[in-house]
Amino acid sequence: MRFMLLLKYDENAQKDTPPDPAMFEEMGRFNTAMVDAGVLLAGEGLAPSSQGAAVTFDGEEPTVSDGPFTEAKELVGGFWILKVDSLEEALSWAKRAPFRDGERLEVRRVTEAEDFEGLAPQEVLDAEKELRARQTQQHGS
Amino acid sequence: MRYMLIMEAPESMRIGEADAPPAEEAFEAMGRYNTELVDAGVLLAAEGLAPSSEGFLVTHDGEGPSVTDGPFTEAKELVAGFWMLEVASREEAVQWARRCPIGPGVTLQVRRIPEMAEFEGVAPAELLDAETTLRQRIAERQQA
Repeated sequence: MRFMLLLKYDENAQKDTPPDPAMFEEMGRFNTAMVDAGVLLAGEGLAPSSQGAAVTFDGEEPTVSDGPFTEAKELVGGFWILKVDSLEEALSWAKRAPFRDGERLEVRRVTEAEDFEGLAPQEVLDAEKELRARQTQQHGS
Repeated sequence: MRYMLIMEAPESMRIGEADAPPAEEAFEAMGRYNTELVDAGVLLAAEGLAPSSEGFLVTHDGEGPSVTDGPFTEAKELVAGFWMLEVASREEAVQWARRCPIGPGVTLQVRRIPEMAEFEGVAPAELLDAETTLRQRIAERQQA
Protein backbone atom coordinates (compact mmCIF):
# COMPACT_ATOMS: atom_id res chain seq x y z
CA MET A 1 0.00 0.00 0.00
CA ARG A 2 1.14 3.52 -0.70
CA PHE A 3 0.48 6.41 1.64
CA MET A 4 1.10 10.11 1.23
CA LEU A 5 2.10 12.18 4.23
CA LEU A 6 1.11 15.76 3.52
CA LEU A 7 2.70 18.42 5.67
CA LYS A 8 0.19 21.16 6.50
CA TYR A 9 1.37 24.33 8.17
CA ASP A 10 0.35 27.90 8.83
CA GLU A 11 2.42 29.99 6.46
CA ASN A 12 1.31 33.27 8.04
CA ALA A 13 2.77 32.22 11.37
CA GLN A 14 6.07 31.29 9.75
CA LYS A 15 8.89 33.41 11.06
CA ASP A 16 11.16 35.22 8.63
CA THR A 17 14.22 33.88 10.37
CA PRO A 18 16.23 31.31 8.43
CA PRO A 19 15.58 27.71 9.44
CA ASP A 20 17.60 26.22 12.28
CA PRO A 21 20.44 23.97 11.01
CA ALA A 22 19.39 21.42 13.66
CA MET A 23 16.09 21.10 11.80
CA PHE A 24 17.91 20.10 8.61
CA GLU A 25 19.80 17.47 10.58
CA GLU A 26 16.69 16.01 12.19
CA MET A 27 14.94 15.94 8.83
CA GLY A 28 17.98 14.25 7.28
CA ARG A 29 17.91 11.56 9.97
CA PHE A 30 14.18 11.02 9.49
CA ASN A 31 14.59 10.68 5.70
CA THR A 32 17.55 8.34 6.14
CA ALA A 33 15.56 6.12 8.49
CA MET A 34 12.81 5.82 5.88
CA VAL A 35 15.25 5.02 3.08
CA ASP A 36 17.05 2.48 5.32
CA ALA A 37 13.70 0.82 5.98
CA GLY A 38 13.05 0.75 2.22
CA VAL A 39 9.73 2.58 2.52
CA LEU A 40 10.38 5.99 0.94
CA LEU A 41 9.21 6.34 -2.67
CA ALA A 42 9.41 10.13 -2.96
CA GLY A 43 9.60 13.25 -0.88
CA GLU A 44 9.70 16.93 -1.74
CA GLY A 45 9.29 20.29 -0.09
CA LEU A 46 7.42 23.19 -1.66
CA ALA A 47 8.51 26.79 -2.09
CA PRO A 48 6.46 29.46 -0.28
CA SER A 49 3.05 30.20 -1.78
CA SER A 50 4.32 33.68 -2.76
CA GLN A 51 6.03 31.90 -5.68
CA GLY A 52 2.87 30.04 -6.62
CA ALA A 53 -0.54 30.60 -8.13
CA ALA A 54 -4.04 29.29 -7.57
CA VAL A 55 -6.20 28.30 -10.51
CA THR A 56 -9.89 28.22 -9.62
CA PHE A 57 -12.44 26.39 -11.73
CA ASP A 58 -15.86 27.91 -11.39
CA GLY A 59 -17.71 27.06 -14.56
CA GLU A 60 -16.46 29.74 -16.93
CA GLU A 61 -12.80 30.25 -17.79
CA PRO A 62 -10.49 29.24 -14.96
CA THR A 63 -9.34 32.18 -12.81
CA VAL A 64 -5.68 32.55 -11.93
CA SER A 65 -4.63 34.36 -8.77
CA ASP A 66 -1.04 34.86 -7.79
CA GLY A 67 0.27 33.78 -4.41
CA PRO A 68 0.81 34.26 -1.54
CA PHE A 69 -2.41 32.58 -0.43
CA THR A 70 -2.80 34.74 2.66
CA GLU A 71 -6.39 33.70 3.38
CA ALA A 72 -5.49 30.01 3.61
CA LYS A 73 -5.23 28.84 7.19
CA GLU A 74 -3.14 25.82 6.29
CA LEU A 75 -0.97 25.20 3.28
CA VAL A 76 0.83 22.15 2.00
CA GLY A 77 4.52 22.57 2.75
CA GLY A 78 5.76 19.27 1.41
CA PHE A 79 5.07 15.57 1.20
CA TRP A 80 6.42 12.06 1.44
CA ILE A 81 5.09 9.00 -0.38
CA LEU A 82 5.66 5.72 1.45
CA LYS A 83 5.24 2.12 0.44
CA VAL A 84 4.28 0.18 3.56
CA ASP A 85 2.38 -2.95 4.57
CA SER A 86 -0.30 -1.28 6.63
CA LEU A 87 -1.91 1.94 7.63
CA GLU A 88 -0.42 1.54 11.12
CA GLU A 89 3.06 1.52 9.63
CA ALA A 90 2.35 4.75 7.73
CA LEU A 91 0.96 6.27 10.89
CA SER A 92 3.99 5.35 12.94
CA TRP A 93 6.29 7.06 10.39
CA ALA A 94 4.06 10.15 10.51
CA LYS A 95 4.42 10.21 14.30
CA ARG A 96 8.21 10.07 14.03
CA ALA A 97 8.44 13.13 11.78
CA PRO A 98 10.58 15.80 13.45
CA PHE A 99 8.04 18.60 13.89
CA ARG A 100 6.99 20.42 17.03
CA ASP A 101 5.38 23.75 16.14
CA GLY A 102 1.81 22.70 15.50
CA GLU A 103 2.50 21.23 12.07
CA ARG A 104 0.01 18.63 10.96
CA LEU A 105 0.59 15.61 8.78
CA GLU A 106 -2.31 14.27 6.81
CA VAL A 107 -1.86 10.56 6.23
CA ARG A 108 -3.73 9.61 3.07
CA ARG A 109 -3.80 6.40 1.10
CA VAL A 110 -2.68 6.77 -2.51
CA THR A 111 -5.13 5.14 -4.88
CA GLU A 112 -4.09 2.18 -7.04
CA ALA A 113 -5.52 1.18 -10.42
CA GLU A 114 -7.57 -1.54 -8.68
CA ASP A 115 -9.53 1.16 -6.83
CA PHE A 116 -11.05 2.20 -10.14
CA GLU A 117 -11.91 -1.19 -11.59
CA GLY A 118 -15.60 -1.22 -12.39
CA LEU A 119 -15.74 2.57 -11.97
CA ALA A 120 -13.57 3.73 -14.85
CA PRO A 121 -13.90 2.29 -18.36
CA GLN A 122 -11.43 -0.58 -18.82
CA GLU A 123 -9.76 1.13 -21.79
CA VAL A 124 -9.05 4.19 -19.63
CA LEU A 125 -7.38 1.96 -17.02
CA ASP A 126 -5.34 0.20 -19.70
CA ALA A 127 -4.33 3.53 -21.20
CA GLU A 128 -3.23 4.80 -17.78
CA LYS A 129 -0.99 1.79 -17.28
CA GLU A 130 0.66 2.53 -20.59
CA LEU A 131 1.02 6.23 -19.72
CA ARG A 132 2.76 5.35 -16.47
CA ALA A 133 5.20 3.16 -18.35
CA ARG A 134 5.94 5.95 -20.85
CA GLN A 135 6.33 8.51 -18.07
CA THR A 136 8.80 6.24 -16.24
CA GLN A 137 10.83 5.79 -19.42
CA GLN A 138 10.99 9.55 -19.92
CA HIS A 139 11.95 10.60 -16.43
CA GLY A 140 12.78 7.59 -14.32
CA SER A 141 10.14 7.22 -11.67
CA MET B 1 11.85 23.88 -13.00
CA ARG B 2 9.57 21.54 -11.15
CA TYR B 3 6.05 22.50 -10.18
CA MET B 4 3.40 20.68 -8.28
CA LEU B 5 -0.29 21.07 -9.13
CA ILE B 6 -2.27 20.26 -6.03
CA MET B 7 -5.93 19.56 -6.60
CA GLU B 8 -8.17 20.70 -3.76
CA ALA B 9 -11.86 19.90 -3.82
CA PRO B 10 -14.80 19.21 -1.52
CA GLU B 11 -15.06 15.48 -0.88
CA SER B 12 -18.65 15.54 -2.12
CA MET B 13 -17.16 15.93 -5.62
CA ARG B 14 -15.36 12.59 -5.54
CA ILE B 15 -16.45 10.07 -8.16
CA GLY B 16 -19.46 8.25 -6.75
CA GLU B 17 -20.39 11.08 -4.36
CA ALA B 18 -23.30 13.55 -4.57
CA ASP B 19 -21.62 16.38 -6.52
CA ALA B 20 -19.38 14.25 -8.74
CA PRO B 21 -19.41 14.58 -12.52
CA PRO B 22 -20.45 11.51 -14.58
CA ALA B 23 -17.71 8.95 -13.90
CA GLU B 24 -17.05 7.78 -17.44
CA GLU B 25 -16.71 11.29 -18.87
CA ALA B 26 -14.49 12.40 -16.00
CA PHE B 27 -12.15 9.43 -16.36
CA GLU B 28 -11.89 9.87 -20.11
CA ALA B 29 -11.22 13.61 -19.91
CA MET B 30 -8.56 13.07 -17.26
CA GLY B 31 -7.00 10.32 -19.36
CA ARG B 32 -6.76 12.70 -22.32
CA TYR B 33 -5.21 15.41 -20.15
CA ASN B 34 -2.63 13.02 -18.70
CA THR B 35 -1.81 11.79 -22.19
CA GLU B 36 -1.15 15.37 -23.31
CA LEU B 37 1.16 15.87 -20.35
CA VAL B 38 3.12 12.72 -21.20
CA ASP B 39 3.15 13.57 -24.94
CA ALA B 40 4.67 16.94 -24.02
CA GLY B 41 7.24 15.17 -21.85
CA VAL B 42 6.45 17.30 -18.80
CA LEU B 43 4.83 14.79 -16.41
CA LEU B 44 7.08 13.58 -13.58
CA ALA B 45 4.40 11.98 -11.43
CA ALA B 46 0.71 12.09 -10.66
CA GLU B 47 -1.39 10.35 -8.06
CA GLY B 48 -4.85 10.48 -6.58
CA LEU B 49 -5.68 10.11 -2.91
CA ALA B 50 -8.28 7.89 -1.28
CA PRO B 51 -11.08 9.60 0.71
CA SER B 52 -10.08 11.18 4.01
CA SER B 53 -12.29 8.60 5.77
CA GLU B 54 -9.34 6.24 5.22
CA GLY B 55 -6.87 8.80 6.53
CA PHE B 56 -5.43 10.20 9.73
CA LEU B 57 -4.24 13.54 10.95
CA VAL B 58 -1.09 13.62 13.06
CA THR B 59 -0.53 16.88 14.92
CA HIS B 60 2.95 17.71 16.17
CA ASP B 61 2.77 20.40 18.83
CA GLY B 62 5.63 19.76 21.15
CA GLU B 63 3.65 17.51 23.50
CA GLY B 64 4.27 14.51 21.32
CA PRO B 65 2.13 13.72 18.32
CA SER B 66 -1.63 13.38 18.63
CA VAL B 67 -3.66 11.37 16.15
CA THR B 68 -7.16 12.15 14.84
CA ASP B 69 -9.09 9.73 12.64
CA GLY B 70 -10.52 10.76 9.29
CA PRO B 71 -12.81 11.79 7.71
CA PHE B 72 -11.70 15.40 8.09
CA THR B 73 -15.23 16.78 8.06
CA GLU B 74 -14.34 20.28 9.20
CA ALA B 75 -12.14 20.85 6.14
CA LYS B 76 -14.08 22.53 3.32
CA GLU B 77 -11.59 21.40 0.70
CA LEU B 78 -9.14 18.53 0.80
CA VAL B 79 -6.24 17.47 -1.32
CA ALA B 80 -7.63 14.99 -3.83
CA GLY B 81 -4.50 14.43 -5.87
CA PHE B 82 -1.50 16.03 -7.52
CA TRP B 83 0.62 16.29 -10.63
CA MET B 84 4.34 17.02 -10.65
CA LEU B 85 5.62 18.74 -13.79
CA GLU B 86 9.00 19.63 -15.23
CA VAL B 87 8.49 22.84 -17.17
CA ALA B 88 10.52 25.79 -18.41
CA SER B 89 8.63 28.51 -16.52
CA ARG B 90 5.97 29.29 -13.95
CA GLU B 91 3.77 30.47 -16.81
CA GLU B 92 3.96 27.05 -18.44
CA ALA B 93 2.91 25.41 -15.18
CA VAL B 94 -0.05 27.81 -14.88
CA GLN B 95 -1.05 27.09 -18.49
CA TRP B 96 -1.13 23.36 -17.83
CA ALA B 97 -3.14 23.95 -14.66
CA ARG B 98 -5.70 25.99 -16.63
CA ARG B 99 -6.19 23.13 -19.09
CA CYS B 100 -7.00 20.58 -16.41
CA PRO B 101 -10.46 19.09 -17.07
CA ILE B 102 -12.00 19.67 -13.68
CA GLY B 103 -15.30 21.20 -12.81
CA PRO B 104 -16.60 24.13 -10.79
CA GLY B 105 -15.61 24.15 -7.16
CA VAL B 106 -12.12 22.75 -7.66
CA THR B 107 -8.88 24.68 -7.14
CA LEU B 108 -5.43 23.79 -8.40
CA GLN B 109 -2.58 25.19 -6.41
CA VAL B 110 0.51 25.73 -8.54
CA ARG B 111 3.56 25.43 -6.28
CA ARG B 112 7.23 25.45 -7.15
CA ILE B 113 9.42 22.63 -5.87
CA PRO B 114 12.78 24.01 -4.74
CA GLU B 115 15.95 22.30 -5.96
CA MET B 116 18.78 21.36 -3.67
CA ALA B 117 21.06 24.05 -5.06
CA GLU B 118 18.80 26.62 -3.38
CA PHE B 119 19.75 25.31 0.04
CA GLU B 120 23.46 25.76 -0.47
CA GLY B 121 24.65 28.08 2.24
CA VAL B 122 21.45 27.56 4.21
CA ALA B 123 21.79 23.87 5.07
CA PRO B 124 25.15 22.33 6.06
CA ALA B 125 26.99 20.99 2.99
CA GLU B 126 27.28 17.48 4.41
CA LEU B 127 23.51 17.31 4.78
CA LEU B 128 23.04 18.30 1.16
CA ASP B 129 25.52 15.60 0.14
CA ALA B 130 23.67 13.10 2.30
CA GLU B 131 20.39 14.04 0.64
CA THR B 132 21.90 13.51 -2.81
CA THR B 133 22.94 10.04 -1.69
CA LEU B 134 19.46 9.32 -0.33
CA ARG B 135 17.85 10.35 -3.61
CA GLN B 136 20.23 8.08 -5.51
CA ARG B 137 19.37 5.17 -3.23
CA ILE B 138 15.64 5.73 -3.85
CA ALA B 139 16.17 5.93 -7.62
CA GLU B 140 18.30 2.76 -7.67
CA ARG B 141 15.74 0.83 -5.67
CA GLN B 142 12.98 1.87 -8.05
CA GLN B 143 14.98 0.70 -11.06
CA ALA B 144 15.70 -2.64 -9.44
